[in-house]
Amino acid sequence: MKKTAVEPIVGRYTTVSIMGEDCRIYFEEAGQGIPFLCVPTAGSDTRQFRHMMCDEDITKKFRVITFDMPWHGKSYPPVGWEKREYKLSGELFMQTIRSVSAALGLDRPVFMGCSIGGRITLQLANFYGKEFRALIGLEAADYQTTWYDRKWLHRSDVHGGEVSAAIVSGLLSPTSPEVHRQETLWQYMQSGPGVFGGDLYYYHVDSDLRGKLGGINTKTCPLYLLTGEYDYSCRPEDTLRTAKSIPGAKAKVMKGIGHFPMSENPAQFKKYIMPVLNDIVKREKKS
Amino acid sequence: MSGASKTSMERLEEKLCTRFEQAVPKRVNSDSHFVWRGRNLTADCLLQIGSVQYLIRFEQGAIKECRRGLPLMCSWDFAVRGSARAWEELWQDPPKAGWHDIGALIKRGEMTMEGKLHPLIANLQYFKDMMELPRKGGSK
Repeated sequence: MKKTAVEPIVGRYTTVSIMGEDCRIYFEEAGQGIPFLCVPTAGSDTRQFRHMMCDEDITKKFRVITFDMPWHGKSYPPVGWEKREYKLSGELFMQTIRSVSAALGLDRPVFMGCSIGGRITLQLANFYGKEFRALIGLEAADYQTTWYDRKWLHRSDVHGGEVSAAIVSGLLSPTSPEVHRQETLWQYMQSGPGVFGGDLYYYHVDSDLRGKLGGINTKTCPLYLLTGEYDYSCRPEDTLRTAKSIPGAKAKVMKGIGHFPMSENPAQFKKYIMPVLNDIVKREKKS
Repeated sequence: MSGASKTSMERLEEKLCTRFEQAVPKRVNSDSHFVWRGRNLTADCLLQIGSVQYLIRFEQGAIKECRRGLPLMCSWDFAVRGSARAWEELWQDPPKAGWHDIGALIKRGEMTMEGKLHPLIANLQYFKDMMELPRKGGSK
């Protein structure tokens, strides 16, 4: 029988204390070099980064690491989850990322997050910029308006997975490859009950950052913002407005991409992320 | 109003309605998988293209009736109303960014969802796909 190629991605588990609670965390990694920690969009998981982790142009210079947040993917919720409603706060989100980074022994990693992960990138830059070599916010803005009532995402009479995928399906670019569009939606159909909505508590309720990002110093830690033109959740104008308010932030609009760049159109995304990564490598060589 | 004095908006609406009627209900009912996806859906929908109203009666995922204009004292469960421009842009192939999905159109104030929304939201992808059928080719 012919052997098939095995991808270089390796997945493991570790237990991390996050704000006083032990959480069993699933993480994946590939490559070697500069530590590069990645966080996916709300309600999704590490699979969003699978293309990047199999791209030698990236993994020959970066150790790409991504993890499932507690409640997501193959990570468990904390003990006693059945007695509480999941609501992600900005503080919990930041401390989760910092705790996982510390538990894995990462030395000032590059951090990249998408959507809610993009929003938290701004808060990490504001409060903990010195802990990172560079920060990359995908589909990131200090604030944006919504177009639906998130209560529909967690009801006993509506299938949570199907409605979550249907809500976000329009955030994908209609020009992205169909196979990757559908893969991205499949991920959304698989999160636990209320998890997508719980993540959106952070996005819609606990993260209006307008006028609150004065602590960002892009000389200490460069900040890159990339947003897809078809993203109407975090619109390009939301990102450009945010970048304008942060001295030294570099922003770019990605053509032909929606809200899930690394997952929905990896080839197109590569055109935009490689210059950023090359910039980071160049900066590393100088220092 | 005489036929000779049709405004450009009326001509646009007529063009859009023709496109809609060529696609719906035929392309729903002739696709057994499409009908299967809506198997839990039985409801009456008011769909509005500019000023033109349609009544669409769904029964277990099939469209049993799709008529232009509402009968007198007609009831419906939910309504989806969009401006003529909203439908025109939605049906471009490919559509322009920011006009490419009903969520984008709702956000920019060009479309609304009203009424008893449960059957619509519980079958949201089915509806999105149905409403995008007049887009030729597209990504589906």
